[in-house]
Amino acid sequence: MSTELIKVTINGKEFQVAKGARLIDVCREQGFNIPSFCYYADLALQASCRMCLVRIEKMPKLQTSCTITCTDGMVVTTESEEIEKAQRAMVEFLLANHPLDCPICDRGGECELQEMAFDWGNLEERFTERKNAQPEKYLSPIVANDPQRCILCKRCTRVCDEWMGEDAIEAGGRGANTVIGTFGGWLNCSECGNCIEVCPTGTLLDATYRHQARPWELQQTVTTCTYCSDGCQESVGSRAGEVMRVVARDRYVNGHNGEFLCIKGRFAHTFINDETRLRTPMIRYKKGGKLIPATWDEAVKFATRGLDKAAEAHGANSIAVVGSPRLTNESLYALKKFATELVGTENYTATDAFSLSPFFQNLGGQIATHRDIRHAKTIVLIGGEPEELQPFAGKQIRQAVRNGGAKLVIINSTPIRLKERATQFLHINPETEDAAVLAIFNQAHNELAARKMGVQETELIELRRTITNTEGDVVIMFGGEVSAEAQSLLAQMPYLFNKEGRRALLHPLPLYNNSVGATDMGLMYGKLGATEMLDAAGDSVHAMYVAGSFLPQHLTGREDSLGKLDFLVVQELFETETTRFADVVFPAASFAEADGTFTNSGGLVQRVRQTIPPVNQSKQDWVITAQLSKELGVDFGFQMSASAVFGEIAERIPAYAGLRYPLLKDETNPVQVKHATIEQRDLSQESEAIRARVEKMSDTATKINATPPVGHELFKIGTLTDKLPQMHLLASGNPKPPTLAVSPLYQITVDAGMKREAIGGD
Amino acid sequence: MSIIGDVIESTKAIIKGMGVTFSYIPKGKWTVEYPDEPVTVQPRYRGQHLLHVDEYGREKCVACFLCAAACPSECIYIIAKDDPRSPMERIGIEERYAEVYNIDYGRCIFCGYCVEACPKDAITHGYNFELSVYNRADLLKTKDDLLITKQVQSRNYRVASSEEDVDSEYKEV
Repeated sequence: MSTELIKVTINGKEFQVAKGARLIDVCREQGFNIPSFCYYADLALQASCRMCLVRIEKMPKLQTSCTITCTDGMVVTTESEEIEKAQRAMVEFLLANHPLDCPICDRGGECELQEMAFDWGNLEERFTERKNAQPEKYLSPIVANDPQRCILCKRCTRVCDEWMGEDAIEAGGRGANTVIGTFGGWLNCSECGNCIEVCPTGTLLDATYRHQARPWELQQTVTTCTYCSDGCQESVGSRAGEVMRVVARDRYVNGHNGEFLCIKGRFAHTFINDETRLRTPMIRYKKGGKLIPATWDEAVKFATRGLDKAAEAHGANSIAVVGSPRLTNESLYALKKFATELVGTENYTATDAFSLSPFFQNLGGQIATHRDIRHAKTIVLIGGEPEELQPFAGKQIRQAVRNGGAKLVIINSTPIRLKERATQFLHINPETEDAAVLAIFNQAHNELAARKMGVQETELIELRRTITNTEGDVVIMFGGEVSAEAQSLLAQMPYLFNKEGRRALLHPLPLYNNSVGATDMGLMYGKLGATEMLDAAGDSVHAMYVAGSFLPQHLTGREDSLGKLDFLVVQELFETETTRFADVVFPAASFAEADGTFTNSGGLVQRVRQTIPPVNQSKQDWVITAQLSKELGVDFGFQMSASAVFGEIAERIPAYAGLRYPLLKDETNPVQVKHATIEQRDLSQESEAIRARVEKMSDTATKINATPPVGHELFKIGTLTDKLPQMHLLASGNPKPPTLAVSPLYQITVDAGMKREAIGGD
Repeated sequence: MSIIGDVIESTKAIIKGMGVTFSYIPKGKWTVEYPDEPVTVQPRYRGQHLLHVDEYGREKCVACFLCAAACPSECIYIIAKDDPRSPMERIGIEERYAEVYNIDYGRCIFCGYCVEACPKDAITHGYNFELSVYNRADLLKTKDDLLITKQVQSRNYRVASSEEDVDSEYKEV
């Protein structure tokens, strides 16, 4: 869009607007209310609802303002008898077949059609013919569908195509018989539920929240998602201390993700009020004995006594402090402070899948936010699988390519689904991502890298040409496959590619909501990593204080390591493999019960707000840490307020300097953390180390040729997603039930662990 | 003023007052002989609520929460539930029904807004007015107390027909 201004007259008033602006947007910005259903700013135009009609001079008929681009001297009327008559007629047509079952419709109360009918509907219906009734049905375990309510705005099909690139939901039939449906009647997609979100009526509904509550009695709290590193902003609807649903609807929240959420963020929130949440602190008085419920005072005393004993017997360094990348910045900061200032140990870490510390230690440029990805001109994706692990980043990439015309280069050992969109796909041998990084860093290594990666050298030359020919932003994204040395090279790449008119931005793809925050808080810079710490258990580490749990990948092959410890304190939501050996277990509060901040992969620090009071006797993680330290004789001075902890973070951590909660209040304009830029440095040591490693790689490795199925990572059952019964159905292949009229949950029993038993359907 | 004057004045006043009293003794009584005789209530009388069922005995309430939203004293508490069974096996007339439907008569002001708001004619005001209990907690009535099939109706009232002038029963007009 150019900055040139043109003159447009709307309802007799003159306005200066940018050339190329869309008429409906201009009218709405100037305060003229134009109704619409099918218009959605982010999507391709549809113009099927005919609600946004306006009169434009010198045009023969009423025009749809959503498809009109403003031209100089245009004279527009948005309100007149003629227009209102047309709009009222449109609503009458829409309601001709719409059932009047608002009392049982879950959308009732926040339905766009309902609102439109209040403003533009007639009091009486003139159609007396029978409505085209169709039974309600399920499209998948989590998408319920009532075809009769559909007004055919096709937002859902456009979202599925443009955002998700899946085309799972489509319109079938013609004219009055058009229905929104799926191929084979059953949705086999990533189940993101964005079609539910954008639906202006109750046609597509959240089946996990079906008939549970009405929107007006839910308390909507804006918070940040707790699953992946995208940090989507969402609105959590709760009632009487229970989380009922999660939405990202524009009327409640306007984060950087718009109305986008993925299956985990939107549906897998049932763990918050799950029955199996830890209820009270628990103490194991005897090794190998049972965990016995205790009071907070007892448990805190028992824990501090145990830690004290270990410190006296083996010294401060025998105590390890372990955080989790799922915790808030405040909790992680409290843990770091506990480790360094109170215990005085060098052994602290967070249980992340991989460490980003080499990346941040060498960071030579800016971190790309998700908005930058959307508007990038070239995207280089090394390893990772964003459409499964960081769905919002995946969506931004798809939109950058589709709507922004960006070039996408994918370097991956697996032919991931995103390769359909790629301009260039380098299908490399497994575990040779480092070779690709080396080649991009220094083209002298092209020949070696191409040989080990199993690609042509010309492909690497083309990749380099794509980057160097870019006018605009180049975003380099990388997953956990690249090694620590390769992370350092990547972090310094902006110095190689930054030029007049081109900016190289970096975007790491960590797996957890606060992986970046854990690095920022300094917890990832300890002496030992998570696996090394488990190996050292019983050897140099004798006591451990764990907030959260070790990941399965840390514990495989080391199942009994934690048993070798003299003393183990764990704070968790659920009983896990880590609490199995714990001497003291504290019930911790989940993200919905805590105040704090998360830092996402784009470096945006965003607020987490308390939605419901802590469940059972749980407390926020940093509160527990502060309580332990108080018992040990040191008062952290947090005054039991998360904002006081954040104030201290802002004082002590340079990247967060000057930040306060009030500055983070507006989720529409998130604040990016100012990570220190390291000056260009000599990386010959690192590149030499990578080269040596690459040379040892096999020349004749077999490539992975199978494209992984949809949801192979998304539907994986974790400690949190395990609590959503529908997730088990999806994880076991999303079978189509015998009848679509009843929720599959009632029809299919996946395993004995599922709570809701199958009962007969009709 | 003398004491004698005072006595005369007050005696006069007493005679005048008692005159009014005695003049009413031969007239008809206004007293309602409750509970010996049933009370006559207006057809539109707003007593304890009734939750209705349809001709097959299925509850009419679809747990739309409109009554709870309309209630000015916030005395209605509902928990909605999904009932996936076939129409005739269901508890209610629709897939959605109220698993819990409580009215707190300690708070209810009998304004009738819930009845007005109900889109399914599932809740109306009945005529039961004997709501006093010994324990405050008992003022909370559940679905078992409210459903028309379960509510115990008092025998101490009679509903007037629409033409009947109820007021004249008590007063000499």
